[in-house]
Amino acid sequence: MWRLNKVRHKAGRQADSLEELRLKRRQQEKDLRQARRDRQLVSKRLLLNEDEDQSEVTMDADSGAQHVVTLFHKLQHSGPEKEVHLKALSKALRDPSAQLTFIKQENSMHLLVGLLTGSNATCRLQAVRCLHELSHSPHTNIAPACLPATPYLLTYLSNQSTKFTELCLYTLGNLCPESDVVQEKLLAQGIIPALANCIENQRHNLAVVEAAGFTLSQLLQAKDGGGKIIPMVLASSLPSHLLSVLTPDQNFGLAPAIECAWCLHYLTCSMQDNRVLLAHGALSRCSSTLMSLGGAVAEGNKEEGMELLICPLLRCVGNLLSSCPVEDLSSQVADVSIVVTLCALLQAYMQTQTALARESAWVLNNLTAHSSAFCSALLTFNLVPGLIQLLPFSQGINIMILRVLANIAHKKKEYCVQLTHTGLLSGLCATLKMADKDIVTLSMDVLFMLVVSSPQVAEEFVRHGGLSLLETLQYNREGDIRRRASYLLENHLLPYSS
Amino acid sequence: MLQPETARLLTEGQMLVKSSDVGNTQEEPGLSEAEEGNPFNFTPQLLRLHRDHQLFEDGDIHRHMYLQDLYVSETDDKTTLSVSEFACHISGCSAVFSALEEYEHHYNSLHRHVCCSCRRSLPSARLLDIHIQEWHDSLFTILAQRQDMYQCLVEGCGQKFRTSQHRKQHLIKVHKYPPDFRFDKTKKDRGETKRPQQKDTSMEVAESVCESEGVCEVMCDVLSDQPEHGESMETHVSEEEAARTATSAITEDHANLSAAAHSAENTSSQPLKPQYSYRVPTNVCFGHGSVRGFRGRRGRRK
Repeated sequence: MWRLNKVRHKAGRQADSLEELRLKRRQQEKDLRQARRDRQLVSKRLLLNEDEDQSEVTMDADSGAQHVVTLFHKLQHSGPEKEVHLKALSKALRDPSAQLTFIKQENSMHLLVGLLTGSNATCRLQAVRCLHELSHSPHTNIAPACLPATPYLLTYLSNQSTKFTELCLYTLGNLCPESDVVQEKLLAQGIIPALANCIENQRHNLAVVEAAGFTLSQLLQAKDGGGKIIPMVLASSLPSHLLSVLTPDQNFGLAPAIECAWCLHYLTCSMQDNRVLLAHGALSRCSSTLMSLGGAVAEGNKEEGMELLICPLLRCVGNLLSSCPVEDLSSQVADVSIVVTLCALLQAYMQTQTALARESAWVLNNLTAHSSAFCSALLTFNLVPGLIQLLPFSQGINIMILRVLANIAHKKKEYCVQLTHTGLLSGLCATLKMADKDIVTLSMDVLFMLVVSSPQVAEEFVRHGGLSLLETLQYNREGDIRRRASYLLENHLLPYSS
Repeated sequence: MLQPETARLLTEGQMLVKSSDVGNTQEEPGLSEAEEGNPFNFTPQLLRLHRDHQLFEDGDIHRHMYLQDLYVSETDDKTTLSVSEFACHISGCSAVFSALEEYEHHYNSLHRHVCCSCRRSLPSARLLDIHIQEWHDSLFTILAQRQDMYQCLVEGCGQKFRTSQHRKQHLIKVHKYPPDFRFDKTKKDRGETKRPQQKDTSMEVAESVCESEGVCEVMCDVLSDQPEHGESMETHVSEEEAARTATSAITEDHANLSAAAHSAENTSSQPLKPQYSYRVPTNVCFGHGSVRGFRGRRGRRK
């Protein structure tokens, strides 16, 4: 189980200064971004023993490798000291070059598998630990070498020993993203039903649920993606289990919900049909969870790591909305005050996690696109002024908010009048002067809808100095903008030109 | 009229835009009647984002940082929020500003009182009026031969003079103006013709600028030195233009007004080259608000 505090404690104990840590972290972030651009974003997890620290320095490479060979020989020949040697081996295998050396030894995997499936329970545990270390290897040829063990790992998923099951799961999870070959094998060996059974039978054991969620998320991120894996997962009982885990447990924390939410995100953002998930009530479940989390955030109870759960939930809701027919919307998202949640998230995360604010705005767009109920809710709950205040901010924020406002204006003339009362016109007078042409064009679209809704709005726009603004827009370098400005001036503002 | 819902790829960030079929029977302001030439085409759209979408990048990185035990709850350096820049819209002017006030100042200083014909920027509406009158109004030239037409530049003074030289003397003597006051140059000083055929590079940019009907129509009036000739062409053009929709633009090649009138081509679709900075295009003129003294002239405008 991942205790988030652990990281900070480690940071405190480190010899590295805080600045070095920050630099290191920034570099790692940069690497991750590049990996994502290359579509190679893959992470593995290492389950540590409670008593150890990942940063524990082991012996240097050469002696590590030699040590492994020695241990391997001992294991081939020894009797009762097997447990001791295995434990030492698992420690030694932390080192990447030792991992390589071990794999190169003839029959090394055969030995491990034998110990994994033998009658000695302690040896089984240590053997799986060895495999876990191997699975975490940065070397790409290690994972295929572990394949002989996978059918057993899968079988053991139904056992009742928590630590053992966790290790099996995280090992499988680390192996999943390695290659198509590995994925093919795992699918053939029944990883999906095994995971489904595991979660179902160990639903009470949240550490195992978290681990299973992680493993599934690794499988779902496979490049094959929509091809085989996702349809198989959708056809299984996994979706309903995942949904049931979403509500965070008071005592255990957010971690299992986080893993399951990310699984759901990978399912909903694939180009597959989302009807299966909608039928399971995914939209309903995700949106209500989001609302309770958002409520906590709005009250200032920002539990640590909350955004790790809010993010995938936002994405699920956003993408599920795009697949949900309008007539079903009210049954799936029963509570219109979700718009309050979304605006609260927008405000709360603007400074700290702008990406989350952006994603919240995206969800608002999908909610308001074809539903008057949600548009009306934004007006009723007086959320529009808050949105208008965010119009100066770029990087996807203002353009998305303009879309939302346009969605509202598009529905009814009454909404346009109400929007005008919130002070939108002065907001538009500013956005119309921005450099980004998409923002200007969209602002003009909103302005058009407002102006044609009633003569009072047209008059007020003129009072805001709108005529000269439009006149200058007639000389904009973009044709779309010029045409809009001219059209508006000539067809709708002519009576007001002095 | 509702646009047909289609799935299309937006260029921005490979967003797959999928509008689901909607049975939306509510009234839509402004779009219910498909007006001819209405360029406004906004329709609400559901945005479905695929896994690798740009919008998801930061969240993905955060997730993986957490998986790799690199998570920190509060970012050490708070993200500096990015604010949209403002930009001068005038075609050919590529000035960009970080604050609205800066933009307003730029615009008011450089673009607000600009002479349509010769591109000169005057500091006030009054000086622009006077400039246009004295430089580009042939009637003024005629009248000035017989009466005092040159106004004193100082507001409130009210005096008029027979020649610009006389006025200049007055300004220096009475109002203590410098002899080289920038906004009192005579036409001869500049030595430039005011014929619109003067094809400098900015004309390229300006070509498609004056699309708005009825605006340049009036100002373009002042370009021509032969009122009768211009008049007939202008009328012809304006009738044509009135019949046209707003979306089909006509090049404002003032030397070939009839050609433009007949041409149905939308030449403004040529991409404008934004490498001119701080040069206001030849034909920038500021429509309804800025038309000085020529409105309703010769009963032209409808």
